Amino acid sequence: MSARSESSWEKVPRLPAGHFVSGLVYTDPDVYQDEIDNIFSKAWRFACHESELPEPFDYRLVDHAGQSLICIRGEDDEVRTFLNVCSHRGGKLLTEPSGNARLITCFYHRWTYDSLGACTGIPRPSGYSKEVAKDSMGLRGLRTAVKHGLVFIALDEGAPDLDTFIGLALDQFSEMLGTTLLEVFHYNRAVLDCNWKAWHETNMDLYHEFMHAVLRQTQVGAMPMEDRRLITFENGHGGSGGDLKAAYDGYKSFAGRGGDVPPLPGTDPTDFRFVDLFPSTAIIARGTVVRIDTATPLGPDKTLLEMRGLGVKGESQEHRQARQRHHNQYWGPFGRNVPEDMIAAEACADSFRNQAGRYQIIARDENLTGQDDAILRAFYKEWGDRTGRDPGNPIDPATA
Amino acid sequence: MNDLKRLLEREAVRPLIGGAGLALDDGDFARFLGYCDDPFNYRIRVWSPDLKKDMTWLEHDREGLIELFKSLPEHLQRQGRLHRQVTVATVEPSNVDGFLVVTSPFVVHHTNLEGQTHTLAVGRYIDIVNMIDEKIVLTARDVMLDTRDLGIGLHVPI
Repeated sequence: MSARSESSWEKVPRLPAGHFVSGLVYTDPDVYQDEIDNIFSKAWRFACHESELPEPFDYRLVDHAGQSLICIRGEDDEVRTFLNVCSHRGGKLLTEPSGNARLITCFYHRWTYDSLGACTGIPRPSGYSKEVAKDSMGLRGLRTAVKHGLVFIALDEGAPDLDTFIGLALDQFSEMLGTTLLEVFHYNRAVLDCNWKAWHETNMDLYHEFMHAVLRQTQVGAMPMEDRRLITFENGHGGSGGDLKAAYDGYKSFAGRGGDVPPLPGTDPTDFRFVDLFPSTAIIARGTVVRIDTATPLGPDKTLLEMRGLGVKGESQEHRQARQRHHNQYWGPFGRNVPEDMIAAEACADSFRNQAGRYQIIARDENLTGQDDAILRAFYKEWGDRTGRDPGNPIDPATA
Repeated sequence: MNDLKRLLEREAVRPLIGGAGLALDDGDFARFLGYCDDPFNYRIRVWSPDLKKDMTWLEHDREGLIELFKSLPEHLQRQGRLHRQVTVATVEPSNVDGFLVVTSPFVVHHTNLEGQTHTLAVGRYIDIVNMIDEKIVLTARDVMLDTRDLGIGLHVPI
């Protein structure tokens, strides 16, 4: 029994494939570019919630794969998405993060577009040949689909449809998200010094419950570990397979939580339910309130994190305040849990940045109960399939 | 006479706002609460240009703050030290006799364990100050944050 030697530290773990991940997946620029090209440019990704676009011509800007997108509701109530780029000279069209735009006008030469993405105006068109005409100068449209109020987008026109991609992964949320109108009441962004996967892992990894004072006192012992059910799905998604429980009285200032507002449809105030959608969205419900996380890569070591909190649309002020309070207990920039997760993601990034950390172990095997790492393994299997790289050895030794 | 009264009020308020900020900087939460009335209400609010709505990111009464402060040693927290630079800008009578509304822009810097300092947040304190009793105290504090990206966030009042 002693500290490990250099060779021991750097040796590939003696674990089955898929049970460990090389630190290079977080830092290597070629790996990162492969992720942008083969994951974020190909897969469906959550963009925003329908309640953020309540009226015709309401729009929301979305950062995705290094590009700015416009999600906009048309007069026909359909939500569409376009690159936020003028067809003429590439001017960024909209800069306010949200608003209402019956006409989208480029600041530069006053070209205009409608909510269908059609070009509706070119000042002094007579100066152009027929190749540059309104009919052929619309915005670049993106595939957009809405499921349970969640707006998803895909850059790849050849991607399988959203339902095929999601499969059964959202079924446990269909009653909660799909039977009552919800709305976003909390939104915050944070740029973290870590790889996007380091953040998403905090949502996939139940074993780190031990890090959180709140979870140590309310969740770890709330039900027998062997009674917990986790589940993985095709395409790299995973989540809770049945509700986990929280015993709020274990943490003094959470005592009685949930008694002051009805739970979301299909849940009990003490339920904890989550799904991690590949590549980087997590939906997490704690009885009375639900949170949606989206991690957007800004570089190998930089991640934009967006967090939304949702309540019931049209509920009383008293109920909204209670739901907001419940949200803020765990989440948001001043929550008891979220800052701790952020610290963890950045701390691991520190270790992998200069390759002091070589591997991360995702080898807990509890037959999809307790704190099994199966969701992490399902994620990295999909990651490997899409990038063509082995998560345990992502750099081909012949070319490294 | 009114001008003199206002001047005196302003002078009386300055050490209250400044002292409360220093107490938070020092992580001396008992001392901070000493500057606060009973009851006391604390709230952090933010305008979201994304949602076009006001958001509340933290809200506690005095008891809630006491519980929060008690729980801090159990939590994993941002390390280093915060430094609040607070300027009392306006002191106005409130619509309740004996209470003042005090507006103070602030900047919060964070110094990490390596000694590097960066700006963490800017905003305004909108304080309701109780001048009725002998001891001048904060009855309510609304923190109106301009900064919306707080990096890894905070477990403590800003």
